[in-house]
Parts: sequence; C-alpha cells; structure tokens
Amino acid sequence: MKKTLAGAFAAALMLSAAQPALAVERGGTLVYGRYADSLFLDPVLNDANVDIWVLSNLYDTLLLPTDNGQGVQAGIATKWDVSADGMSVTLQLRKGAKFSNGRDITPEDVIWSLERAANPKNGIWNFLISSIDKVVPDGSDGVKIMLKHPDPAILHALTVFNTAVMPEKEFEAEPGNTDEAKAREFAKDPIGSGPFVLKSWVHGQSMTLVRNPYYWAKGSDGKALPYLNSVVFKVIPDDATRILQLQSGALDGAEFIPYARVQELKKASGINMELYPSTRVEYVTMNVRKDVAGKANPLSNPEVRQALNYATNKKAIIQIVTHGVGSPMSSFMSSATPLHAGKGELYPYDLAKAKALMAKAGYGKGFSTSLLVLAGNQDELSIATMLQQMWGQIGVKLQLQQVDNATRTDEYRKGDFSMRLSAWTDDIADPSEITSYFAYSPTIQSLHTGWKNDTVDKLFVQSQSQMDAAKRKEEYAKIQQIFNTTGPTVSLYQTPYPVALRKDVHGFVQIPLGNNIFRGAWVSKKTSN
Amino acid sequence: MHLLLYVLRRIIQLIPTLLFIALVVFLLVHLLPGDPASAMLGDRALTADVNRINHELGLDRPLPVQFLLFLRNLLHGDLGRSIQLHQSVVSLIEQRLPVTILLTVMSALVAVVLALPLAFVAALRRDREADVLIRGTFQIGLSMPVFYIGLLLLTFFGAYLRWFPVGGYGDTFASHLYHLFLPALTLALSLSAVLMRNLRQAILSVIGAEYVDFARAKGLPARLVLLRHVLRNALISTVTLFGLQIGTLLGGAVVTETVFAIPGAGRLMIESIYGRDYPVVQGTTLCLAVVVSLTFLLTDLIQVMLDPRLSR
Repeated sequence: MKKTLAGAFAAALMLSAAQPALAVERGGTLVYGRYADSLFLDPVLNDANVDIWVLSNLYDTLLLPTDNGQGVQAGIATKWDVSADGMSVTLQLRKGAKFSNGRDITPEDVIWSLERAANPKNGIWNFLISSIDKVVPDGSDGVKIMLKHPDPAILHALTVFNTAVMPEKEFEAEPGNTDEAKAREFAKDPIGSGPFVLKSWVHGQSMTLVRNPYYWAKGSDGKALPYLNSVVFKVIPDDATRILQLQSGALDGAEFIPYARVQELKKASGINMELYPSTRVEYVTMNVRKDVAGKANPLSNPEVRQALNYATNKKAIIQIVTHGVGSPMSSFMSSATPLHAGKGELYPYDLAKAKALMAKAGYGKGFSTSLLVLAGNQDELSIATMLQQMWGQIGVKLQLQQVDNATRTDEYRKGDFSMRLSAWTDDIADPSEITSYFAYSPTIQSLHTGWKNDTVDKLFVQSQSQMDAAKRKEEYAKIQQIFNTTGPTVSLYQTPYPVALRKDVHGFVQIPLGNNIFRGAWVSKKTSN
Repeated sequence: MHLLLYVLRRIIQLIPTLLFIALVVFLLVHLLPGDPASAMLGDRALTADVNRINHELGLDRPLPVQFLLFLRNLLHGDLGRSIQLHQSVVSLIEQRLPVTILLTVMSALVAVVLALPLAFVAALRRDREADVLIRGTFQIGLSMPVFYIGLLLLTFFGAYLRWFPVGGYGDTFASHLYHLFLPALTLALSLSAVLMRNLRQAILSVIGAEYVDFARAKGLPARLVLLRHVLRNALISTVTLFGLQIGTLLGGAVVTETVFAIPGAGRLMIESIYGRDYPVVQGTTLCLAVVVSLTFLLTDLIQVMLDPRLSR
C-alpha cells in the first residue's frame, strides 16, 4: 500500500474549513474554566485527561488530528509515506519549524522524542506505539520509522500527545539523574513547538499560556497562528460556580457543563452551548468470573447478562440522566470511533424477553448482586437507582455501594467486584485502544471482568498488523458482533462534550478525543458588556 | 511570669496530642482501600505500572517501617513530597494554609461583627418583634447547608448585582480580601447564629444580676454598664464556644473553598484524600491540628484575661 499525501494542501483545506466565514480578529485573552487543574505537563509521563486534553496546545506532534477526530493532517511533518510492505514510515519535516525558544526542530529531536515515547520504561502510553522498532534519519530533513510489524494505526499514533516532538538538548540539560527527574524540571517551563507557551502556573488556581511566536501554521488571514495573545485556564471545581462565572463574564468558556443545565444555557442570551461530538461512552461492567469473593456469580451466565441488557431502558436513562443530550449505542465503541460497526440500538428495551432469558438461565426467581457507584457523582447515582428499579422487575436485587474513585479502582483491579459503572474516552482515532481494554483479554482481562473469547483475541492480534483496510474492517465488525452479543457490559449511552462559550468566542473546538484546541480560537471585540 | 509558665505547660502538653494525631492520620490514610498509583493511573492502569510506582514510593514496605520513617522526617521538619504534585508538602502548605487561615479569620471577624450588636438588640428587646425577627433569620441561616448559602450569595451578590467576584482568590492582598468576603460571610452566617443565641442568653442571665443593678443604682451611664459589667461577664461562655467553633469553621472552609474556587488547604486536603496522596493528607491534617490547638490555647488565654480567677 503506497500512500503519499500532499500534506500542506490538506492542512490548508482543513484549516479553512474549520474557520467560519467571519473576518477573524487577532489579539486578546480567552479565559477558560476547567473542572480540575493539570498535574504534569510531560507528553510521555503524564497519566490523566487533565493533562492530555491541554497538552497539544504546548507540544506539537508530527501529524495532527482533523477536527472530526477521524483523520490526520500535516503537523511538524509536511509529507508522510507508509512503505508498501507496511514496515516503515518516512516523514519529511517542515522547513523552518522551530521550538518555542527559536531553535530549529531537527530530525535528531524527532528520533529522540519518539524513542523516549516508545520506551516501555517510560509512562503508561508506550503501548500506543509498541510497533516502533527504531527511528533513523532520512536525508537532511526527514526521519524513517522502522516498525516491528505493519501497524495500521501508526499514522494516527503520530497525532497522539505522547509522540509530541520535544527538544532533546534542552531536555537533557535539565538537572536530575533519571528521565522523570529531568521531565519534572522541564515541565515547569516547557519548550515545545505548539501554538502556545506556558507562561505561569499557580497550581490549583490558574495557568496562563501565551502565543508562541515561532508557531508554523497560518490563519485564515494569512498570518501566523494562533490568533489569541493568551489563554488563561481557571480552575473552578464546582459546576454551578463555573457556570455563574461564565454568566457574569469572568470566563469566556466553561467545560463539563452538567447535562441538567444544557437546555437552560442553550436559551441563555450571550452564550453558545456547544455539544462537541465525542468518543465518550457510559456503560455497566459485569464481572463474569464463575465465583466472586467465594460465591457463585450469576453474571457468569451470558443469558443473564443479555437479560440485564434487555431489562435496561436506555431511552429512559438518556432522558433522565443526560436530559436528552446522550444517544443510544449500536456497539460497545462510540459511533465516532473509526471502524465502529453496528446498526440500531443494542438490546432494545424488552421486559418479556428479559424475563424469558432469566427463566432459561435458571434464575426465574432472580438473584442479588451489587453495583459500585462513585460517591458524590450525581449522574452515576441517578443511573444506579434507575437500574435498581428496572432490574427489580426481573427479580434482580441490586445493592448500591457508594465508594470513592480510588476504592473503586482498587476493587476493580483486584477483580472482586460484581458490577460497576464506567465511562471511556478514546485517546487515538483508531478502534485498537478501546478494543484492547474492553475485548482483548491479555491487556486487563477485558475490563477486569475475566471475560475471554479466543476468536476475539485472535482477530485482534491479526488486526493489529492488518494493512488491508477492508479486511481490518471485517475483523473489527466480527469482534464487535461477538462482544456486543456475549460481552461483559451493558452499553448505556454515548454523550458529546458539553462546553459553554460566550457568543464572542469563535473557532474553538474540542475534538472527539477530548483535546481542547485553542490554536484557531479568537474573540471578537467586546462591544457593550 | 505565671501566665508564661501556663502557656509553656500548655504547649508541652500539645506534643503528645500531635504525635497521637499523626499516628491516627497515618493509620487512617494507609488503611483506606486503594493506593496512590491506582488513584493516579485510574481504571486503565496495568498492574505492572501500579506495582512499579508503589515500589518507587516505598509503599510496599511494612507499615511500621513507613511510620517510623515518617516520624523521623517529621522530627527534621520534613513532611515529605506530594505524590500527585511532586512538590514538598511543606511548600504546598506554605502556599495553601495562609489562604485558609485568612478565610477563617475573616469569617470569625464577620461572625463577631454580626453577632455582637444583634445579640444585644435581641436581649434588650426580649420577645419583642426585633428579637423574634433576629432569632428567626439566624435560625434559617443555621439550618441551610453551607454550600447552598454559598451558591445563593454567589448568584445574588456575584452574578446578579456584580458587587463581588464570582469566586476565585485574586492576586494582591486587597483583592484577596475582596474575593474572600462572600465566602467569609457564607461561613460566618451559621457561626454568628450560634454565637448570637449563646450571647443573648448570657446577657439575659447577667442583666438581672445584683451587681448590674448596683452599677445602675450608682448612676453609671447605661452604655458603661452594658460594656463594662454586662458584656464582660456575658462574653466568658461565648468566647469558649467561639474557640470551639474554630474547628468547625475550618471544616466548613473545605466546602466553601470548593464552591468559591479558592485554592486553600481544605481543597488541597480533599484532592489529596481522593488521590491517596498520603504525605499531603498527613501534613495538612497535622498543620490544621496545630492551628486548632493554638486557637484553643488562645481562647483559654482570653478567658483568663476576662476572668483572672481561671488562671489559678
């Protein structure tokens, strides 16, 4: 398979498509309210969405995700080419691309960055590029990535935060004996090549990013991006306060608007209530081991799991919990995930069928089980009480255990829970990440449920080096069909990202993977306020 | 000299108390299910990564060894490093504790400013309209949850009237005071209700005393009688109550700091408990314990000043 793209052209197209037909205005500051602060601004060693979702503003990658989150476009690399045998990728670096300290980005920086990211000793994201064997220079302004096996997701992997290009010399000059010690120092005042540079950070309070004068991309006015002079993140953990600050004008944007407030903010004057398409899915995880904590586990019976699926009125949950913002699912992965397969709602609500399945499984009289719920999380508590009531109709007595996140994660990892509520968001525009956690048992025993299907395991391994797009699609269709009919989950709904912006904010986007993209954002001059 | 010895004795008594608190907090956080690595890495963590990080943190050692290490460092004034934030706990507390103390002091002041005059009005107008109105209003304030009062004040004075900022902390001392006014008022409302009722009752019991009648009969002006004889004697029990309530106030600051987006020690503690950031939980709890203990000491000293008989 030979694929050469005129990257620069594609990038120009994407950028102009992303901008509305308004004349952009430059300068100014955008103040954005976040629910929690970042922890560690290192692309490779971070481990939380609070970091991941803002990293791309500081650190540029070789390729960039398109705004719909499904494709790739030029980043630091202007041309990319996967070899016919799928065993290598050559990339040409952008002429004149610089780090935020003004130094040119060299092939050596790229090689060092990718090898650091792929090192299994560094952080928890190296599995996304485990196919990389080594990286070598290619001519004076290119690199060649040699793979251990063909990797159909490699181009998408080069858009993910952990493959960001960092300056080798400046990083290695930091004090410290370990990579992590250096990274801690480096991350205090990072040098990247993204559209913004970190200017100041008062932890738990605010973070200020200012424009990187060396950033390569051009805006719709032909001048360098970003349009904004600065972006300020304010940390406001309370949802109601965050919304009040937006309404009072102290914020220009606020993330994680509770679903219950979406309709109200849609009607509010001066505010655009945005619902960005997302890969976020909400589901119940069921332990399928024969015994849990020494007791026989009814959930090990696939018919019982199907019965619970049929007894779940997803439409009612979507109405009550997400206030209609969510939508039913047709596969365990979101419909925004590439290679999603499935038509129509999974297990449409059917109480009679659920009862019949319970009887067939030998549980006509029902059974008792428990569900782990995140204490203080209103959405989860609403879902849990609705499930309690719905499943009660087929004789399942559901006991709710409210615990904090660390406790829940602990029981989850030990595999001695019965059921729990969970949410998932993809980090890469490829189905392999979610599938490896949900369905491929060697990763984490299929969401720590103990579910294992040999056909799925085999198909997944095959698909990981499958370069024939049509065949890979078939493999994923089969995996999803098996998981959706016999798997360890009840898919509840998928939801967009609810972000409220003031009407004078334009060009901001949160892509389906969650990344907040400020490079094309601009604020029109405030007229009367 | 007598008073100085008293203070010294009290401070020495503090040491075993704090050691005991250190032990209890240490055991409590370590007995919580979960561990820092799982909390940090979340649901997707691979067992190998979790074990590696817990090993690096020394959390796979026996608990008594960990406690002794913690004590040894404590004696050197070292509270360890935050697992989540990778800063020394001492520096984190230096950043966050003053915020909480400022908030608490402001709340205490607002509570006193509200409670003192109103208690007098209520007591002197006993069972008349003013008394009923004051007590009724405070009863409502007392029965509402702190976060709810906070949101009401934010919505009305912040978002609607725009007299005050909608949360945050500001950059300069003056703007800290401006930002902290609404949260301080929020915290002060329930405290002032408690103080007002107590003081009103105390005034009522003092005002009928013979020495007050005598002072009046001597021909002292009413204002002097009230300040010198009634207030001074009525305050003794209220000051005790006030001191005891400082702990509650600090507890309330945890909620208020979240609602008002204030980067104080309360929020730091909550986030550290969720993140199983053991050193930070231990450090902040110990420091807050010191603050509360010192407040108790101060309360006792004020009592002694009001009623010198107590120091004997």
